[in-house]
Amino acid sequence: MSTVAISEKRSALAPLGKPLAIAGGVLAVVAALLPWVTFSLNDGNWPDKSTLQFFDAPFLVTGFRWHMLLFGVFILVAALAPTPSRGRVLRALGWGTLAVSFINALYITIKGGGLGAITALDGEVAFGGVVGVVAGVLVILASYGIGIEPVADWKFKVSTPVAYLVLLVAFGGVLYAVAAMLTTGGVGASNPYAGAIFLSFLGFAGGVLAALSGVGLVRWISALSEEHRVFSVIVLAACALLLPFTDAGNEYWMTVAANIGIYAATAIGLNIVVGLAGLLDLGYVAFMGIGALVAANFSGAATAYFGFSLPFPVAAAIAAVVAGIFGAIVGSPTLRVRGDYLAIVTLAFGEIFTRSAQNDIGGFTNGSNAIPGIPALSLFGAEFNRSITIGPVKLPGGVLYYILIVLLVAATMAVFANLKFSRIGRAWIAIREDEDAARAMGIRTGKMKILAFLIGAMLAGLAGAVFAHKNGTVSYESFKFLESITLLAAVILGGMGSIPGAVLGASLLFVLPEKLRDFEEYRLMIFGLALILIMRFRPVGLIPDAHRRAEMAEKADENAEEAHVEARKA
Amino acid sequence: MSVLLQQLANGVIQGALIALIALGYTMVYGIIQLINFAHGEVFMVASYGGLATFTLLPDDLKKTPAVALPLMFVGGIAVAVLVAVVMERFAYRPLRGSSRLAPLITALGVSVFLQEAVRVWYPDATSNLPYPKVFPEGNLSLGAVNIPWTGVLLIVLSVGLSIILQTYINKSRMGRAMRATAQDPDTAKLMGVNPDRVIVLTFVFGAVLAGVAGVMFGGYLNNINIDMGFQNGIFAFTAAVLGGVGSIRGAVVGAFIIGLIKTLSGQYMPGGTQYDYVWIFVVLILVLVFRPQGLFGEPERVRA
Repeated sequence: MSTVAISEKRSALAPLGKPLAIAGGVLAVVAALLPWVTFSLNDGNWPDKSTLQFFDAPFLVTGFRWHMLLFGVFILVAALAPTPSRGRVLRALGWGTLAVSFINALYITIKGGGLGAITALDGEVAFGGVVGVVAGVLVILASYGIGIEPVADWKFKVSTPVAYLVLLVAFGGVLYAVAAMLTTGGVGASNPYAGAIFLSFLGFAGGVLAALSGVGLVRWISALSEEHRVFSVIVLAACALLLPFTDAGNEYWMTVAANIGIYAATAIGLNIVVGLAGLLDLGYVAFMGIGALVAANFSGAATAYFGFSLPFPVAAAIAAVVAGIFGAIVGSPTLRVRGDYLAIVTLAFGEIFTRSAQNDIGGFTNGSNAIPGIPALSLFGAEFNRSITIGPVKLPGGVLYYILIVLLVAATMAVFANLKFSRIGRAWIAIREDEDAARAMGIRTGKMKILAFLIGAMLAGLAGAVFAHKNGTVSYESFKFLESITLLAAVILGGMGSIPGAVLGASLLFVLPEKLRDFEEYRLMIFGLALILIMRFRPVGLIPDAHRRAEMAEKADENAEEAHVEARKA
Repeated sequence: MSVLLQQLANGVIQGALIALIALGYTMVYGIIQLINFAHGEVFMVASYGGLATFTLLPDDLKKTPAVALPLMFVGGIAVAVLVAVVMERFAYRPLRGSSRLAPLITALGVSVFLQEAVRVWYPDATSNLPYPKVFPEGNLSLGAVNIPWTGVLLIVLSVGLSIILQTYINKSRMGRAMRATAQDPDTAKLMGVNPDRVIVLTFVFGAVLAGVAGVMFGGYLNNINIDMGFQNGIFAFTAAVLGGVGSIRGAVVGAFIIGLIKTLSGQYMPGGTQYDYVWIFVVLILVLVFRPQGLFGEPERVRA
């Protein structure tokens, strides 16, 4: 039915598509150059001279107005130049424009107290927000007028050196985007507008990314990187290690990035269980907790169970093995229990872990007092939490942890990728698709399912060991049901079975709380709502696994066919 | 001996409460095979709805329990039904026919959302809130055992409502439509049953029972907090599974067993009440592994 509505809309809008897009683009440019506020907000100037002061330097637009200007230019280019899948690109740019202007205008309105802040009602000219919103709506309408074509497929081949260059530029762009994402809006609570600036930036980044992917660039580059896999992995690792040298290279962001890395590694582990083997695990964070507690008890901390300290690699290995053993125990009911019943069994195990840890079972966990004072890691006398100086370059504190964690994430990725394309990985995927058929094909399903739990738990235990040493304290509070849900949400948001997806999902879910301190109260509520909306509108996730995407596309075709048949019947 | 008897009585009261919630789980699962994880939160929201109704009453009505108490039930049930219907319409219905995983994750999202919505928007919901004293006070003394009148009321309501529900489902036309949809939705549709109506009605019945449970929970324990939904929801789910998901009688019997396990393990097992929660989960795992069809479930039913 929705297709009918769109096609009707299209027939009315079709001749207007291009003019509307051009008008929208011009309006976006104009909005960028107009003032957005007629006064200073209570917490100081709204960022980047968006008040009348801007007339002092009319062409030095920065911040969100720079984003608006870019959107305007991109829209004009997309409307006038021969662009592949123009409608799709314009739709992305239009939504981006709308998001950026709406977020900024809304924030000014709420914080400034009424619409007077963004319209001419105060007697001063401050149309920026309204013009921006109108521009966004116009471009979205235009895109439906032009029609949403499928994503363009770039066929042309390039020589290896050119491909390398393209990949270098692309990953450099990713590094820049990550650094910008971390630093936009300033460090944590120091900037009163951090939350809004960050949301506006997300609107911009999302719009541009969607446009790039609509034009076919993203698909082309991922095909290139698939072709030159070794080179891409090296460049990607180098980019990750270069992050401390960007704007994000201070202690605060290194700490946040390291935390994200730990959760990303755990999310990749969970992805094995949920994404590959299709076994929903609602208590997964317990394995991370087990790893963290085991490592903490071997660390020589004051309340540790064992009075001696083992070197970190040994402790981490023990942590991983113990977590793996528990993983196999938790996984053993999979021999008899399936589907959502299994999810409940894992949830029950998770709750048993939390409750036992809370009550200091066996004297291992120190209950709600946590295990404090876990010594920081050190290598050749360099403590991991201090800043280090190599020649003329001074690196911020925590950078060594960051590097360790990048290596950890790289290692889990390698494990995941190798498993996924191995005999075991194919067996898991077969089990996920149809367990009975997999068994009929000679896969020993029980063994395979327990193996998935075991490997996933080992990865989580390893991540937990790093977590314990990095944070210096371990409490059962860090491993409750909500954390399991958050990890699961990271996997689903990113796209099940997809490696970059898990990293992206973990980054988004663990960066957002840092940025949205303004909205701290509503954080979890938004999170719950986001879960519902993702399942409703994009159940495959942001970066779906290629195999899954193919499946979903087939299903969509079937649905379309059914709808067609029904329409003919009616 | 008197300790044992007292704990048995406490267990039966707990069981009565859990049974009211478990019926909602079991009916929804029976019809659309969805573990409605948010059902525990519907119970919690109902409890706050009852409290809000009391707060909104004029002062003279607050002092007459004969009026205030029924109104609180009405308020709590109304809130629960509203939440359940909206939830079914906007969160679950669009996902019907998709993979099994999607609705379960949606249910988790709904659960987090409801809990947070109450925490943020209900005044002072961050701490325990006292429940008004409009319930019958005092105890029924049977020898050494004291049962509070609220407990007696809870047991009567729980058993009574489940008998009514069972009768309705077995005897009425709509009940037959429900059973038909549970057995085979497609054939039921061909026979002229409107599945949307049946499903909404199932959610409404579950919400009504959860509403009664929510208000009675406040009356029995005198305090409510936003965590009550998750915990009791898990207990109720365990009870539903123990009794055999889809079976009304099973859910009630399972709930009484769970209630007894909770109080008796808190009294007699090592670790005391700190570990009573753990024993319930142990039972849950054992049941799922060794008798997944539950006590009253049909063993041949395939659950993928």
